Amino acid sequence: MIARQMFEEFKARFGPLIQRADLPSDSRLYVFVDRSAVKYVCQHIFRELDARYVASIGSDDRPFSGTFLVAHNFAFDKDHLLCSVLTQLPQDDLKIDSITAMVPAASWAEREMRDLLGIEPVGHSYPKRLVLPDGWPEGKHPLRKDVPWNEVPEGYDEEREFKFDEPPEGCMVVPFGPFHPTLDEPAHFRLYVEGEMVRGCEYRGFMVHRGIEKLAESVMSYNDIPMLAERICGICGCVHNVAYVQAVEDAAVLKPPPRAEYIRTIMLELERLHSHLLWTGLACHIVGFDTLFMQSFRIREPIMWIAEKISGNRKTYALCVIGGVRRDITDELKTELRAVLDKLESEWRAVVGAVSNDRNIQKRTRDVGVADKLLVKSAGLVGPVARAAGVDIDCRRDLPYAAYDRVDFDVITAQSADVWARLVVRMKEVFESIKIMRQCLDKMEDGPLQLEIKDELPIGRMGLSSVEAPRGEAHHFVITGENNRPRRWRVRAPTYQNLQGVPAMIKDQQIADMTISLGSIDPCFSCTDRLETIDLRSGEKKVWSQQELLQMTRKKEP
Amino acid sequence: MDRSLIWTIVAGVLNIGIVLLVAPLCQGVLRKVTARVQSRQGPPLPQPYFDLLKLLGKEDIESGQTPAMQRFAAYLSLATVLTVACLVPMGFAPPMNHAGDVILLIYLLTLCGVCTLLAGLAAGSTYSLVGISREMMSMIALEPLFAIALIVGAVHTGSFRLDTVLHGSVYTAAGVPWSGLIMLGVILLSFQAFVQRVPFDISEAETELMEGPLMEYSGPKLALFKYAQMAKLVIYSALFVSLFAPWGSALVFPFGWLLFWAKVLVLVLLVTLVAATHARYRIDQALRFFASLFAVALVALVLASYGH
Repeated sequence: MIARQMFEEFKARFGPLIQRADLPSDSRLYVFVDRSAVKYVCQHIFRELDARYVASIGSDDRPFSGTFLVAHNFAFDKDHLLCSVLTQLPQDDLKIDSITAMVPAASWAEREMRDLLGIEPVGHSYPKRLVLPDGWPEGKHPLRKDVPWNEVPEGYDEEREFKFDEPPEGCMVVPFGPFHPTLDEPAHFRLYVEGEMVRGCEYRGFMVHRGIEKLAESVMSYNDIPMLAERICGICGCVHNVAYVQAVEDAAVLKPPPRAEYIRTIMLELERLHSHLLWTGLACHIVGFDTLFMQSFRIREPIMWIAEKISGNRKTYALCVIGGVRRDITDELKTELRAVLDKLESEWRAVVGAVSNDRNIQKRTRDVGVADKLLVKSAGLVGPVARAAGVDIDCRRDLPYAAYDRVDFDVITAQSADVWARLVVRMKEVFESIKIMRQCLDKMEDGPLQLEIKDELPIGRMGLSSVEAPRGEAHHFVITGENNRPRRWRVRAPTYQNLQGVPAMIKDQQIADMTISLGSIDPCFSCTDRLETIDLRSGEKKVWSQQELLQMTRKKEP
Repeated sequence: MDRSLIWTIVAGVLNIGIVLLVAPLCQGVLRKVTARVQSRQGPPLPQPYFDLLKLLGKEDIESGQTPAMQRFAAYLSLATVLTVACLVPMGFAPPMNHAGDVILLIYLLTLCGVCTLLAGLAAGSTYSLVGISREMMSMIALEPLFAIALIVGAVHTGSFRLDTVLHGSVYTAAGVPWSGLIMLGVILLSFQAFVQRVPFDISEAETELMEGPLMEYSGPKLALFKYAQMAKLVIYSALFVSLFAPWGSALVFPFGWLLFWAKVLVLVLLVTLVAATHARYRIDQALRFFASLFAVALVALVLASYGH
């Protein structure tokens, strides 16, 4: 009854400032607090109760309650509890105390809230635009319910350049991105460099927002969204697919049949395998060790093939619907999968053996990109980055979902907190994944794949879901709504938190270490940049300016 | 007199021809072997020839801050390397033996690095500037190593003549040739850096600096630079073989000559394997490595001057 205890404790401590609570199960706690108390409650949870910051969500609730909603989500990993601190803001006074002074990890989430909903975080440590481009007019907030999904506001100046901060004295600016060979996607780091040393940086991302959340909340339906969610990320799509479905199931109190849970677990682990192998290869490529890059990809290929056999696709498995899965793993596939796992295990053992004894790679990765426990806590870093710093968190064990409570596995941690530790953690996790999949294959019971859902899903209920993606925890927040679609759906991908730790990780180290440091969190910009409205008009314009660019270069010729 | 001059020129041109012909092949071998190590099929052996032809046939785009300097750097780079080719024995005695000595050779080798600096300056982007600062640092640390190797040979033989020095001269000390053996080790350990391969391709690290100084190059100019780089591998290998492994070169024509190129090929394979099994070092790590090698090389120089 940990959720109940927690709530009683809050009430005793903050008295009438705690308005009400919703305790749907022992692993979820939604506390509604008075606006003036948000800061203190969050401080209490984050500092004194030592919870982990997960995400902050803003929501336009005006059509239903006449207010705006702000939620700060925290995880009590040891108690297997997700806790959401909610507050309602009257629509004529959209100000809320910023929690960044106590919880620096909330920085981006609050900036995003300001950009997209116009909720002003008072006392924010760095209140600069995050998501919206600089040319976007003030006072236009695309995620508000009265803004259509495809609107481009009047006065939008897409040519306007982003205004960067002044670099510190004596530093040269080295632009890293928006396009760089080691970035698969656009993001811009402005490095302040002194000689070969990085002294600081400014990040500008959110260049490829696709308006996924807005789209889901305004045009799609419950069972369309899993396919959309999957397209948030090209590497861990299945994670978002499962996380969304679980959040809805959590809200509507639906329990998928056991066979579906096992299949979800298997596919999630299959995805982890391919992602870990891919990342190990890329990390090696970044430090110039192409042989291991090629070998990793060769070993990875059978995983893609078996995924294609199971789901019809190498990636984007289109696995889940609300209440179940769409793909079955037949006995024939089981046998094949086992064979793939056996081969992978022996081949990967050889690779791990080779890498662990390689002093050359260690030279490039030890003491590089250090993110210690303190940074993990304050920036809310997740996944292998946190585990490599000795922070023992893993949603699969701490906030169990799917069939993870029925399998036995170890959470791999390391102590040195550098890129090397991350490499070790991810390489060893491959074996744990294999272990989990084998257990699932053994334990999987016959039965239906989907729950029969006859009634409409309840309206206005909240659901949370954390899924351990290969890169770290992916967190989804859903408020169910009318018209067969959620009222609010917020995705917090692992990179959203991990990227916020990068400036501290690269400070005072060599520029040559920048790429591997950034690479070591396995950044996924498409996950992070998921929010904004883009329409065809601006797309067309971009093509045009590209042509203009081409013309400019060609003009130089005789 | 006239006749010998003509012969010298013919032999020089022959040497240049050989280098131009063999260099892409060596690159092809390198790529093929790398691919096999990486469980890949790899391109066909003559692929580098096609690549060069393709690049040479492309549009010649002027770009970067100072296109004229950029063009000049590309020409100078290949020209320098080919000049060096005339001074290095390729299975025979160096053809332009009387045209220069070991000191000229050292100068020209350094000029190769200067070309990269010019290229980077001409591009004028941040990445290329970082690239040339790295190139400059490693040049300063690296060039003395080969110079010392040559000087050790010169000290032993008491001559700066190319044919004398470039014929295993480092071992000509009385008794055990300590200085020669030490230099053999030093040059072997730094050889990847001379031919700009992993783990010492720091100045143009693709994943860090996007080819660094070469980032603005394309088409024919890039072809020249790439050609120069391929030729460098052959020339440094030839230099190494003649300075440190001259055995058997005195055999009658086809055998001595074939043995020479066999040794060059072995060196190319060695470079390939080292490149395929290493990660790139950071500039500070590389510099520390070069510095310690430099200290060892100095010891060899001192030993040499005392006749060991």
